[in-house]
Amino acid sequence: MFHGFDTEPAARPLRRAQWLAMLARAPVSLLEPALAQHAETPPQWLRAPETGLVMVQGRAGGTGERFNLGEVTVTRCALRLGGDAPQPGAAVGVAYVLGRSHRHAQLAAVADALLQDPAQQAALDARLLAPVRAHLSALRAQRHARAQASKVEFFTVAREAGGADMDEDDSE
Amino acid sequence: MNANMLSTLGAGFTDAALGSQAVFRSALQALSHPGRIVELSHDAQAPSQGHGASAALLLALLDPDCRLWLSPSLAGSDAAAWLRFHTGCVLVEEPAQAQFAWIGQGDACPPLDAFAQGSDAYPDQSATCVIDVMEVSAPAEGNLPRWTLRGPGIQDRTVLAVEGLAPAFAAQWSANHALFPRGVDVFLAAPRRIAGLPRATRIEQEA
Repeated sequence: MFHGFDTEPAARPLRRAQWLAMLARAPVSLLEPALAQHAETPPQWLRAPETGLVMVQGRAGGTGERFNLGEVTVTRCALRLGGDAPQPGAAVGVAYVLGRSHRHAQLAAVADALLQDPAQQAALDARLLAPVRAHLSALRAQRHARAQASKVEFFTVAREAGGADMDEDDSE
Repeated sequence: MNANMLSTLGAGFTDAALGSQAVFRSALQALSHPGRIVELSHDAQAPSQGHGASAALLLALLDPDCRLWLSPSLAGSDAAAWLRFHTGCVLVEEPAQAQFAWIGQGDACPPLDAFAQGSDAYPDQSATCVIDVMEVSAPAEGNLPRWTLRGPGIQDRTVLAVEGLAPAFAAQWSANHALFPRGVDVFLAAPRRIAGLPRATRIEQEA
């Protein structure tokens, strides 16, 4: 499931899809300080940041027929690090993020390009992805707590009867 | 496209609007003065397969609504990935489905009537072919086989020498010309320059 991307990859190596999903939802305020030195020089743009619409599709209950839910604004870009004359074959960073922030797309793509380099991956994971992971799980916990506060317990006859049976079993 | 292909991909025009407008201007020049040699200056990092001039020309002309046919040496190469990435064009298998075609140097060019010819009511629905050739030049004298071109856009006559084109082309071209107003338009592309052959142009072969 989608939230599986947020959790710490215990023994498995970090996969690209995971960090792309995290970077897309990370707030710019977390990306900016961690990537400031890499994002100073303008990259070589393969595809400059551009904003467009993407149709989001859904399935009722996750299983029904597919239907069009609505369009969302998405900004994407692709870049290669190293200024105007990057090394040929240098990793290309891509980013697709919700919203219209070109800066967010650029920072996410820079991070993607850096994370593809195994030498930098561990350091960047600690400096950038760990705070993002913490932020996203805090958000989720907050939302969960808010939903939990409005939870209603419905007691049904079947459940009470079942509970009574259990008690009897216990006493015997 | 996989990640390896993406990492070898060249950039497009530095400024997409200005770069493609400059190339489009050259394409207009080439088609409105058939046979005139037009230098194509651009700053795109063209793919390794195919000529740089034809790559830049197609980069300027194509968009996601366009269907493109590639000759065998270009299909599946970095040129195909490059055009797909930068323009979003649709690659098709059959020449007849294509609005644009790019024929690599040395590849057998399908007969021109294999491409979409348009109809009398809609002659604009015909295909535009970009054919890579070794060299195009306008020799005053010389022993190169030359064409004399006549037709709209040419004051009197234009001389054009093309190296590296199949000999059958001239015969196919006169059949193509006879279909007017239907028929395909052709760009002949050398590595750095292009010449246009709109369907209205007649070719007279010289010895």
